[in-house]
Amino acid sequence: MFAFFIRRVTQAVFVMLVISLIGFTIKQSVGDPLREITGISVSAAERDALREKLGLNDPFLLQWGRFLARALQGDLGNSFYFKRPALQVILGKAPATLELVFSTSLLVVLLSIPIGIYAAVRPRAWLARFFMGVSIVGVSIPVFLTAILLIYVFSVGLGWLPSFGRGELVTLFGGWQSGYFTSDGLKHLILPSIALSSIMLPLFIRLIRAEMKEVLETDYIKYARAKGLKPGRVLLVHGFKNTLLPVITVGGVQLGTLIAFTILTETVFQWQGMGAMFIEAVDRADTSLIVAYLVFVGALFVTVNTVVDLVYGLVNPMIRIAGRR
Amino acid sequence: MQGWRGFRKSYFVYSFLRDPMAMGSFLCLAILVMVSFGAPLIAPHDPYDSSTIDIMDSEMPPLWLDQSDARFLLGTDSQGRDMLSTMLYGMRVSILIGLGAVALQAFMGIFVGLVAGYRGGRFDAFLMRLADVQLSFSTYMVAIFFGALFQAAFGMGRYEQLAVPLLVIIIGFAEWPQYARTVRASVLAEKKKEYVEAARVIGLSPGRIMWRHILPNTLTPVLVISTVQVANAIMSEAALSFIGLGMPVTRPSLGSLIKAGFDYIFSGSWWITLFPGVALVVLILSINLLGDWLRDFLNPKLYKA
Amino acid sequence: MKRLLLVLLAAALLAGPALAGAKTLRLAIDADPVSLDPHVQLSGGMLQYSHMVFDPLVRWTQAMDFEPRLAERWERLDPLTLRFFLRKGVKFHSGNPFTAKDVVWTLERLKRSPDFKGLFEPFGPAVAVDDYTVDIITTKPYGLTLNMCTYIFPMDSVFYSGTDEKGLPKDAIVKTEHSFANEHASGTGRYFVESREQGQKWVFKAFADYWDKNTGNVDTIVLTPISEDATRLAALLAGDVDFIMPVPPQDFDRIEKTKGVQLITMPGSRIITFQPNQKRRAEFKDARVRQAMVYAVNNAGIVQKIMKERATAAAQNSPRGYVGFVEDLQPRFDLERAKALMKAAGYEKGFTVSMIAPNNRYVNDEKIAEAVVSMLSKINIKVELKTMPKAQFWDEFDAQVADIQMIGWHADTEDSANYFEFLYMCPNKETGYGQYNSGNYCNPRVDELTLASQSETDPAKRAAMLQEVERILYDEAAFIPLHWQMLSWAGSDKLKNAREIVNIMDFPYFGNLVME
Repeated sequence: MFAFFIRRVTQAVFVMLVISLIGFTIKQSVGDPLREITGISVSAAERDALREKLGLNDPFLLQWGRFLARALQGDLGNSFYFKRPALQVILGKAPATLELVFSTSLLVVLLSIPIGIYAAVRPRAWLARFFMGVSIVGVSIPVFLTAILLIYVFSVGLGWLPSFGRGELVTLFGGWQSGYFTSDGLKHLILPSIALSSIMLPLFIRLIRAEMKEVLETDYIKYARAKGLKPGRVLLVHGFKNTLLPVITVGGVQLGTLIAFTILTETVFQWQGMGAMFIEAVDRADTSLIVAYLVFVGALFVTVNTVVDLVYGLVNPMIRIAGRR
Repeated sequence: MQGWRGFRKSYFVYSFLRDPMAMGSFLCLAILVMVSFGAPLIAPHDPYDSSTIDIMDSEMPPLWLDQSDARFLLGTDSQGRDMLSTMLYGMRVSILIGLGAVALQAFMGIFVGLVAGYRGGRFDAFLMRLADVQLSFSTYMVAIFFGALFQAAFGMGRYEQLAVPLLVIIIGFAEWPQYARTVRASVLAEKKKEYVEAARVIGLSPGRIMWRHILPNTLTPVLVISTVQVANAIMSEAALSFIGLGMPVTRPSLGSLIKAGFDYIFSGSWWITLFPGVALVVLILSINLLGDWLRDFLNPKLYKA
Repeated sequence: MKRLLLVLLAAALLAGPALAGAKTLRLAIDADPVSLDPHVQLSGGMLQYSHMVFDPLVRWTQAMDFEPRLAERWERLDPLTLRFFLRKGVKFHSGNPFTAKDVVWTLERLKRSPDFKGLFEPFGPAVAVDDYTVDIITTKPYGLTLNMCTYIFPMDSVFYSGTDEKGLPKDAIVKTEHSFANEHASGTGRYFVESREQGQKWVFKAFADYWDKNTGNVDTIVLTPISEDATRLAALLAGDVDFIMPVPPQDFDRIEKTKGVQLITMPGSRIITFQPNQKRRAEFKDARVRQAMVYAVNNAGIVQKIMKERATAAAQNSPRGYVGFVEDLQPRFDLERAKALMKAAGYEKGFTVSMIAPNNRYVNDEKIAEAVVSMLSKINIKVELKTMPKAQFWDEFDAQVADIQMIGWHADTEDSANYFEFLYMCPNKETGYGQYNSGNYCNPRVDELTLASQSETDPAKRAAMLQEVERILYDEAAFIPLHWQMLSWAGSDKLKNAREIVNIMDFPYFGNLVME
């Protein structure tokens, strides 16, 4: 186990190195940060002097080397826009995204498991087909349109829910700003979570249904049924448990994607998380923040995938990744 | 051989005909594909010919409302383009991007996933970390980077003609790790099973074992992902046009039309938002419902009585 | 007990009106100011902020007159010197008194700021005559001294002197890192910043010792940046915010039809143009081709359909009210004439050109570019259009990658010469003139007149010079003019005098806002 972790940590460092290298090679394509931090009538010479001062004129390898040297001390550079260390900015925005992703995941789990199982057991029932069809509607509308439609109906039209932002926040230990502990904060969570889960639901419903259908055809389910076990128990304990492996795999990838790239949902709801921060950084060509963010996300993906790999081992004893060799 | 094929065909047709949902969605999809690829013949206007577009025709409502124009059945958009024609052309673009990108993703992802899962060890670790690197660079960064490369290679002017293949490459490239990780996970579960051991014992080559023996058994999640992923690829293109990196404005896809609709959501010109949205929902719905049925039909592990 | 009750009652009565007068304005802007340091960047957002937390020496009124603020009055001593008599008894937020020293200090700092030093290039150091009299001196005769004084927001020189806890000078102007001034502010303005989470939420509180007693009744302003147009509007319609800026034109109708909200628009001074590049394309060297393009572009149609009448179709750079404005230069859409000109130039068959435009910089920029593409195709000029986010656009613009490029321009000096200096003078790397002249239009007469106008202090002569330039640019079709964007704001009906606090520079004077 220990060796496994050491290996993964080394790999994570490798991933972050590669990402920073690629990040540095492509950051010019994002745009010129000087354009964003100076007024339009500033002379080209003045702008160039500033660029020189920020070290942006140096050869690419020198810039990268400087970044690495600082990164060793935990400094991923300074955001041009926020005028603060990039890592500090990212960590400040992380709670918003994590809370949104958590509520979304909860919603997805609570809806997709019963619907998926139901659709597998009664594939031809009209209700099952209705759910299958409706869930597709969510994924056929771009999430930015879903989001604005939700705002249109529930905030502008009915006036039930707030239209933007996170509402009233409570600061927990370590500066974590949470919206989970005020009714206002919870109200603000509802629409974004629905919008975000609308794009995840059809995938999981389909996955659970397809896997469940396969499992239900297996001999051990038939045996369990023949033995007279309660149908509910057969479905959940014998059936559903065995669909978990693919669900966890896909879920792992999707979870990582969600945390990193809830970009459009956050943008439309003006949800101050990492996704909105990233797209704004791209907008402002805040290249140092972009690179720091990419490195951060790389580490995040390695972590999530490591956890997923570990969970495989628990769910399916046939796979032994941890501690092998 | 002929007889077996005939049987299979007839069974396929039989079970297809027995399922009205499958039939309906197939019909729907067939019509959409036909009208969109036949757009140059069917569409009343050519939205790609900018000399026929007049700004003074903009935002006309559909035919059955006041102030409409007989030339424009479903009204016009903010540029004065015929909605119907633009949607037909746009659907063609969206279908091409959706299928193209998924084919590319699936090809890359399945290949990497199979090899990583089967070979295991360092090779596996390397490929999976490569996938992590790729995932970290979301579609947006890939789009920005490839866009810059493209411009350096072809210059500014060619973008209009080459945008579709470029977007296929961008979206295909950005999302292959989805497939890779899923296939790898299934391979890990499969490769310890007896049939793989047996195949190995009789001396089959690893390539053959991977493609002919393991792959078919990993297809359930792959197929699920694929049908949903077509929708996702079309959405990715819409999302790229949301931040201004998608199809050129003069060659809109269904996704970029919806993005234009986003701007008009509060404006009162509802047809600009609604029609492309409905078209996209119908398209994706029929792809997925057909996919649901096809998946059940093709799955060797299910009894089809 | 009774006495206590009486005291309480009296207290309640006294406190009553004060409480009733306390109003909170919830404000949503597309982007929040980037810093607390007014000199760190010259941008609309920073100037809006400056007008809240600081006061300028003089400011523009809605009718474009000068209104005395920290300067009570002024007089011209000689062609180089303008003497300002400062308001007495003004306090900074820190409690320090405001004196002439602060003006001298602020002007010196402006001349160090990378963003402002260009504007203050003609200025020498200011001289404090006594505590409440200061001379602003230019190095050569300059016609726009008073205009520039709208940019002098005196800062608290005592507050910003010395070093901070990190040992860095407090007056340093730092764009990308920590600095004292980026995070602390002390001005004389109506509001001070109570709390600030950048990109998320700002809370402004009214300053109790504010010198101007003739203010509105808003004592708290909560500023939230909302970057998506649709979300910003939804927030207003849902009643979650009270005032939004800007408003996209396609939503104007909706706001006007909705009860409880008001739309405010005003002609702006940002001109939107296309520049045909004469260096890249030989065809554009021929004035007839350029004229043909101007005749082919139905800019009134764009204004009507895309801008929903909330823009003014243009034929010149200077909007009405600017000294260079020429009444008889009118939009000249005439397709037949355009075709005839193309034929005369020998390009009847047309040609293919490339075009770039941003897609998130100007109001409806992408849609405008698209419309121009189809208009030019009617005279057989086939345009390959590429639009891109503004972050990537400016690099491409500077590199002049396309044959026709879009640019919008607003004169920071609120004066016609500024357009010519940046957009139409012969490009010159040394002097910096023609920095945004991607058309490479070059006419020595334009250069000569523009330069001469800089040191001309006789308003009539100056106007004649600038009007002649507009006429030359018009006749030679140096650029394809589209329109001046209108400025737009929307707010709840609770804002009683919202119409009066806005102005053409887009610096709403929230200090004067009255809420119900």
